[in-house]
Amino acid sequence: MTLSEINWTRRGFLGRAAIGTGAVISGEAALQLLTSTRVWAAAAQGDLDVLNFALTLEYLEADFYQQVNASGTVTDAKAKDLFALIGADELAHVSALMGTVTKLGGTPVAKPTIKYPDGVFKDYATIVKVSKTFEEVGVGAYLGQAGAIENPDILQAAAGIFGVECRHAALIGKLAGLTPEGGIYMGATETPKPKADVLTAVMPFIS
Amino acid sequence: MDSQPFGGEPVIHFEDEDSRRGFLKYAALIGVGATLAAACGNSSSSSSSTPSPSATASGSPFGEGDVGVLNYALTLEYLEADFYSKAPQALLGEDFKYIAPIAMHEAAHVQALLATLQKLNATPAKKPTLKYPDGTFTDKMTFLKTASAFEETGVKAYHGQVTVIKDKAILGAAASIAGVESRHAAILNDLLGQKQVPAPVEGHATVAETVAIVTPFLGG
Repeated sequence: MTLSEINWTRRGFLGRAAIGTGAVISGEAALQLLTSTRVWAAAAQGDLDVLNFALTLEYLEADFYQQVNASGTVTDAKAKDLFALIGADELAHVSALMGTVTKLGGTPVAKPTIKYPDGVFKDYATIVKVSKTFEEVGVGAYLGQAGAIENPDILQAAAGIFGVECRHAALIGKLAGLTPEGGIYMGATETPKPKADVLTAVMPFIS
Repeated sequence: MDSQPFGGEPVIHFEDEDSRRGFLKYAALIGVGATLAAACGNSSSSSSSTPSPSATASGSPFGEGDVGVLNYALTLEYLEADFYSKAPQALLGEDFKYIAPIAMHEAAHVQALLATLQKLNATPAKKPTLKYPDGTFTDKMTFLKTASAFEETGVKAYHGQVTVIKDKAILGAAASIAGVESRHAAILNDLLGQKQVPAPVEGHATVAETVAIVTPFLGG
């Protein structure tokens, strides 16, 4: 993802906000969502695959926040605290996922080589934008895998991690001063992202 | 727990998970079931196709299977939607802009769950009669604390059902609602100056644990 694309994504958030609170899902739309299998049935290739997919995203997030927190670019006390908190959460997710894959007899996927657009860590506004993008992608990624997980313990853990990514996304949205509906909250329901869309979103960051 | 459950802090066990769990271990489900029965206006001795509040063998007073889960969620959403519909705009001032969307979300969750239950030809749980401690809507911090407690309770309640839900579409939809509750919880905690993300992985609660927490609000 290039910076211009990140900008586009942000405009997308704001564009939704311009619609106003009409972004809230209607009962009818929610019903369609509830009774649709189009998203949830996707890509059941085994729990290990899901875990390694999640691990790859968490590597990316954890690496990003480590660099943010080491950059010195974030100077506001509240923002610093938030980025430190999120960074610690993402590291915890990485080790939890690695441990789970190992426990299941699998091999944790290796951390990818990660690249960032030039100057990302020197500009606070860019850091916030990339952070929001990563968190929203994470939210959609976990939700998109909900129907693919068979093991109840893994499903339980994934749900707990998913919720934390939702928290991060909302908090970064608030930190950025985005509009409440469409910037902090993304409607009455979260939107799942198919695996292919997630990979498309993060591939530019992975060498 | 029925007579003076609040003392200014509606859900006092929330921030300390260990003591909360310790407390709930001793919370009697019998009393909880009786209160719910009164709240729903049902006879606790009669059992019919309508969701019965009396505890079942599996411990859910909301019925079995996915319909039971949906009615459990609906009852919680009724509570949240009712609570936010009373949000004191003037008192909240600038912060009201963060609360107004939450009210809409909870109302949308109620409608979605009702529609889903109807689609499944199931009888939706009735909206319980609700009561709130004095000061809930006249003191800003009390309102926000109550809101935060409801959201954290809701998050854990939804997570507690992910391994219970059979239908993948319902699982996905429930998760998509749970994530919104997580956003609410984080923002409310932020407004309160509390830790926005209490743990790197959110916890989960059983029906009995959740019912014990929300029971003081039922049956006004």
